[in-house]
Amino acid sequence: MDLVQQQIWGWNIATYLFFGGLGGATLALGILGELRFKMGKWFGILTSLLGLAILSFGLIWLVIDLINPMRFLLAFWIAGFGHSWIARGMVVINGAYIFGVLYAIAAFLEKDTFKKWMGYIAMFCGFGVTTYTGLLLNANVAIPFWHTPALPILFTVSALSTGCALLMLILAAMKSHEAEHFFHFVEGFDILLISLELLVIFAYLDFARLGNAAVMKSAHMLMANPLFTIGFVVLGLITPLILEAFASVKHSAKSLAGVASVLVLIGGFLLRYLIVWSGVFQYPHGIAS
Amino acid sequence: MARYGMVMNVHACLGCRACMAACSQWNQTPFWAEDFKGKWRTRVTEIEEGKFPEVKRYFFPTICMHCENPPCASVCPTEATYINKDGIVLIDYDLCLGCGYCIEACPYDARYEYELEDLKKDEFYFGEDARHHQAHVDKCTFCVDRLEEGIEPSCSATCVGHARIFGDLDDPNSEVAKLVNTGKAKPLGPYMGTKPKVYYIK
Ligand code: SF4
Ligand code: SF4
Repeated sequence: MDLVQQQIWGWNIATYLFFGGLGGATLALGILGELRFKMGKWFGILTSLLGLAILSFGLIWLVIDLINPMRFLLAFWIAGFGHSWIARGMVVINGAYIFGVLYAIAAFLEKDTFKKWMGYIAMFCGFGVTTYTGLLLNANVAIPFWHTPALPILFTVSALSTGCALLMLILAAMKSHEAEHFFHFVEGFDILLISLELLVIFAYLDFARLGNAAVMKSAHMLMANPLFTIGFVVLGLITPLILEAFASVKHSAKSLAGVASVLVLIGGFLLRYLIVWSGVFQYPHGIAS
Repeated sequence: MARYGMVMNVHACLGCRACMAACSQWNQTPFWAEDFKGKWRTRVTEIEEGKFPEVKRYFFPTICMHCENPPCASVCPTEATYINKDGIVLIDYDLCLGCGYCIEACPYDARYEYELEDLKKDEFYFGEDARHHQAHVDKCTFCVDRLEEGIEPSCSATCVGHARIFGDLDDPNSEVAKLVNTGKAKPLGPYMGTKPKVYYIK
């Protein structure tokens, strides 16, 4: 058996995965705030459009990574919908655009029933985008560290957590009573998500310890990399968890939550990069040159 | 309808790399890349095993395994990668988005990127006969164009040591079918469930 670190995907794809997940989560959580937390029509419109803008920014990096970026239109030729996660992802992303924009228009025109329907479908697509970023890597049988059901869960939880972080930064700057209320909901939700993420990371690494040479190698690479141990786990997960827990008991501590949010965002980006970076091919002996 | 496959007799491979030269000329693959590793449809890798004085050295030829359950096709968003009627896994260059997903998915390192610079080189060396006109992912086709004319793939046709044996796995009288059916030749990494159609005598 030959173990070879993958070199095809790097920063570009990691950036795409991060901003894709962040955009999808922002879209979904922003609409949630408007539909269920009385955040008002402009909050709904702006956060949904912000989510789509972030998603578009992410997509640019996917296009840059193509062998010939000029051929990106072929991405809409989703013939492989039945089996390929890039094709399925394109459908979900297009859904997020279509229903996200319809929602924003309906919110602007104050067509309530239509807005609700479009909003819920857009939320579903937004959540879909977050999960899809993990499923994309998951489909590679040749890289056992990615080929585990834990990865889509990890990426979904992490993407939602970064979405919460971004919303907290926005909400911290708002004064209204509703904003205060939604802020506390998002903060509590983020505490839950970060705890869950720690649990999944622990389970993931423990699973790696138990075997399969390629998975073990990936895990060793991560554990030996300070970007992962200090950067992601300590600064990107544990520190913001403690800060948010503190902030939630002291009601005025929005700046603490703000710092935590920035750390969560940086941590989320590091996680995408590190998971992509630590992908190791497990080739039958003789294949690797 | 056939089910084409190949048997690699590792003991018979001399390591002359005539197959790599023949393939890269016929298929115009980036021989200008100046190494024996990256952009080849077929490679012959030198392998050294064990410690002095018990060292074993041999040459290991590889190509696309033309899997019956190919992960490369499963991940392809545009269905550029497909299986033809003879069981050969092919890429429709007009549909290839160039996303590289298939390179990540292939467990046999059979694919590489035919980039824009390679197109220029292809035109430089082959002029009007250049066969690559857009950036795409590339890999072995079992020389499907030669098969249509009734001649075998250029690698097995060139092989000095008869280390590459090509044929129809469905024809019980073919040399490949005999080697495979008697269990002499075995696939690489069968545990991955890819069902490769290239077999090895090791
Ligand atoms: S060896 Fe790789 S490229 Fe060839 S069919 Fe199998 S998965 Fe596809
Ligand atoms: S690079 Fe081309 S052949 Fe490979 S998965 Fe993408 S579209 Fe399909």
